Amino acid sequence: MISSSAIPGARFVDPVVLARIGNLELVARSVVDGFINGIHRSPYFGASVDFAEHRGYVPGDDIRRVDWRLYARTDRYYIKEYEADSNSNFATLVDVSRSMGFGTRGITKLDYARMLAGCLTYLVHKQRDRIGLVAFDSDIVEHVPPSAKHMETVLHVLDRLQPSRPGNLRAPLHKMAEHFGRRGLLVLISDLYEDPDVVLEAVAPLRFRGNDLIVFHLLDPAELDFSFTDPSAFEDLESGEQIPIVPEALAGQYRELVRAHITGLTERFSANRVDYMLVNTSTPLDHALFSYLTTRERLTRVR
Amino acid sequence: MSFLTPLFLVALAGLAIPIVLHLIQKERKNVVQFPSLMFLRRIPYQSVQRRRIRHWLLLLMRLAALALIVLAFARPFFRNDGLGSAAASGAREVVVLLDRSYSMGYGDRWRRALDAARDAVNGLTPSDRGSIVLFSSGAEIAIRSTGDRGRLAAALAGLDTGAGATRFGPALKLAGSILGESPLPRREAILISDFQRAGWQGAEGVRLPEGAVLMPISVSGDEPANLAVTPVALQRSAFEGQERVTITAGAVNHSTAPASGVNLALEIGGRPIQTRQIALEANGSASTTFEPITLSERNVKATVRLAGDALERDNAFHFVLSPEDPIRVVIAERPGAPRETSLYLTRALAIGEAPRFQAAATQADALTAGDLAKASVVILNDAPVAQSTAERLQRFVQGGGGLFIAAGDRASWPASADILPGSIGPPVDRSKGNAARLGALEYGHSVFEIFRAPRSGDFAAARFYGYRSVTPNPGADVVARFDDGGAALLERRVGAGRVLIWTSTLDLYWNDLPVKPVFLPFVHRAMRHLAGYREPQPWRTVGDVVEPWSAPEASRGARTDASSRVVLTPAGQRVTLDEEGAEVLELLEQGFYEIRTQSGDTEPSAVVASNVDLRESDLAAMDPQEIRAAAMGRAGGGGTAEDVAPPTDQAQESAQRVWWYLLFAGLLFLGAETIVANRSTV
Repeated sequence: MISSSAIPGARFVDPVVLARIGNLELVARSVVDGFINGIHRSPYFGASVDFAEHRGYVPGDDIRRVDWRLYARTDRYYIKEYEADSNSNFATLVDVSRSMGFGTRGITKLDYARMLAGCLTYLVHKQRDRIGLVAFDSDIVEHVPPSAKHMETVLHVLDRLQPSRPGNLRAPLHKMAEHFGRRGLLVLISDLYEDPDVVLEAVAPLRFRGNDLIVFHLLDPAELDFSFTDPSAFEDLESGEQIPIVPEALAGQYRELVRAHITGLTERFSANRVDYMLVNTSTPLDHALFSYLTTRERLTRVR
Repeated sequence: MSFLTPLFLVALAGLAIPIVLHLIQKERKNVVQFPSLMFLRRIPYQSVQRRRIRHWLLLLMRLAALALIVLAFARPFFRNDGLGSAAASGAREVVVLLDRSYSMGYGDRWRRALDAARDAVNGLTPSDRGSIVLFSSGAEIAIRSTGDRGRLAAALAGLDTGAGATRFGPALKLAGSILGESPLPRREAILISDFQRAGWQGAEGVRLPEGAVLMPISVSGDEPANLAVTPVALQRSAFEGQERVTITAGAVNHSTAPASGVNLALEIGGRPIQTRQIALEANGSASTTFEPITLSERNVKATVRLAGDALERDNAFHFVLSPEDPIRVVIAERPGAPRETSLYLTRALAIGEAPRFQAAATQADALTAGDLAKASVVILNDAPVAQSTAERLQRFVQGGGGLFIAAGDRASWPASADILPGSIGPPVDRSKGNAARLGALEYGHSVFEIFRAPRSGDFAAARFYGYRSVTPNPGADVVARFDDGGAALLERRVGAGRVLIWTSTLDLYWNDLPVKPVFLPFVHRAMRHLAGYREPQPWRTVGDVVEPWSAPEASRGARTDASSRVVLTPAGQRVTLDEEGAEVLELLEQGFYEIRTQSGDTEPSAVVASNVDLRESDLAAMDPQEIRAAAMGRAGGGGTAEDVAPPTDQAQESAQRVWWYLLFAGLLFLGAETIVANRSTV
């Protein structure tokens, strides 16, 4: 995974991952604003091959687009309209709060998030979409505005991300929402240590602008199954608070609470048409991305 | 069950430690960093079942190990009372050792000792057998191994303390032999004493038979105070032809309190004549000197006495004063001998205090029987001896006299009188070349004994230019030789007397020995040896053995009188000593023993003063357990229980050694706990 590339963040673009997901696409489910032809649906009609609708001719329309066959049948002028394909704004929102620095399997959640972000960015970049990056904890830490030329910048920024401060979802996400003027594809990578309702309330503004939001919920296996055995003092990475814990006595209840949390998130996100994907950092990234992208592709077709 | 060190049981509170560890386990200080305690915080704190003990086995093992170790340190033991009564069924052989040294007369010690002895006798059951051994410096069996308690009680009646000093060794040996011969199953020795430190010199090889028990019963009180008169020092001097003696007497204070105004009285013949007052510091001694006394008669009984204290016997010190007898020496010279011949000899004999020498010069031919009767030693100084004189001298020597022959070139001896150690041969001239020197001395001989130590006299410095060659006779000893092997001094015992031949002269004619420092002691030692001189002993100690036949006090008066004698003891008893029984006189009492001849003389031929052993007057007591340990081979723990003095807790505990098993079990539990703990962790 360590690369000798001149770009420091290049290691986050894992060839193994890309080999598996390279033939997949991350396509915005909703229409996105773009300037050049791309793979995403544009809010505008344009010169694509996909027929959209007929509309009545109004003076000024290009007569080349009059459907003459229809005129023959109806003796009225109709204009044939086609769907326009567009490129999209893509931005990864990476949570770099201190809790993301946690990891028990040799890799922290932040490392995983950086790889996830790197791979997705690269994938999207290949689609000729504009790519950007926002890192946040309780405030916005890094901001790379979306641009087709920002691939290397994104990788640089990913490289220097460090978990340093306690996190908070609401304030930075609300702030961000104001920046994303154009509709695009947003990927939020976080461990979502907030109440499901709070989480939803925090991400809602991102949705308001019509952005397609994908949420990757990163959790370490230890956070999921609470496999600790020795009674210890548990220290909150964010607040520094310590609680003496006998894990064997608590594990059951803890797992129950985590499950309820995930279920709450799943329900709320799906109700709000937000893609939600729980990622266990013990799962290889390629597996995780592959399963997500294929599922999304399939669902997109169904839609 | 009892505990020797019950305070250790406080450590049982430590049992709470594993429990608290089990319950809290907060002591493990590892901190786990966790992304968020959001969910953990929601779990109610009180519902955490951290206080539940899961590893019951581990906990119990730890508790057991701790409890066992703590119990082991508390040194538990089972009191042996029940066992003792069970074992008490066997018949006992009991030896009561009763200390009757004079220190037992201090205060009420003797009464308490008798009470303890009676208690021991009364404690005997009909099947038991008892013996009573009385001991001081020696031990005697008062009554041996009888079941008759009446006889035992009777043996105790009428006893009083003796004059002897305490010695535990002989008494314990005697008890050991009585117990060793006993067929009874339980054997005990009860030692009743004041346990003076002076009476025990260590183990002394005393060991009771296996299984025998020694029960010490101490009657010593606390802080005894005692004054004692110390031996006197006698300083003799001559005054107007009579001998005077100055007596210096002292006293010692065996207590931690000073004593002042102590009166020391000097008694002569039973009458006090002088009194001095002294002051004694705590644990100190002081002395005083009395006015000189003129000695006019023999065997004067003298006593230094101090005012009474709790222990009476050591308040008097007896001694005998007699005018000192000089050694009478007759120097026989050849007729017409120059004055220098005996100059050095007479000068040497004129010096000397103890003993004094009384030298008289005469001609060898003029020696009469009367001269010889008064003389102790005859010196033939380079004189030819006629046949008649030789015969007289032969009788003199056989009767116990001493003969010293200095063999110069004129000395001769008739061959018919065979009393010489060797035959005197021709002179050997060593005036040419190197002079002869004394090469080998018999330092074991009493003449040369004082020269034995290094730098105590150099005979090799004397040069001899001539001497007579003497061929030793059978039965003669060559005491000194010249460097060429020729005999220098020879000795032979003849009858009761001795003959010495000095093969050179006693003047400067043949040698320069008379001007050497060794000459005077050499002459003195030779005279003392020939005269059979022994230092007079003005006093003896109780326990000493006196041979009345050879005692200088006795022998001087009538050497030839070998008839049986009568000894009058201080208690007034008459003891007849006859020659056939080779009886010796053992001094058992304090006071004056008078030795008289059987013929009924009014004046005693000899008086022996007997004093108590002053070591006994130091009443400092020792730990009876020391004797017990030495006699039984271990510090405590008896094979059988004893009603009089049951074994101490320490003894019982050390015999049972329960702690050892507890500690071992505790360690076993700890080991097992480690194994179980490892298994459960895995």
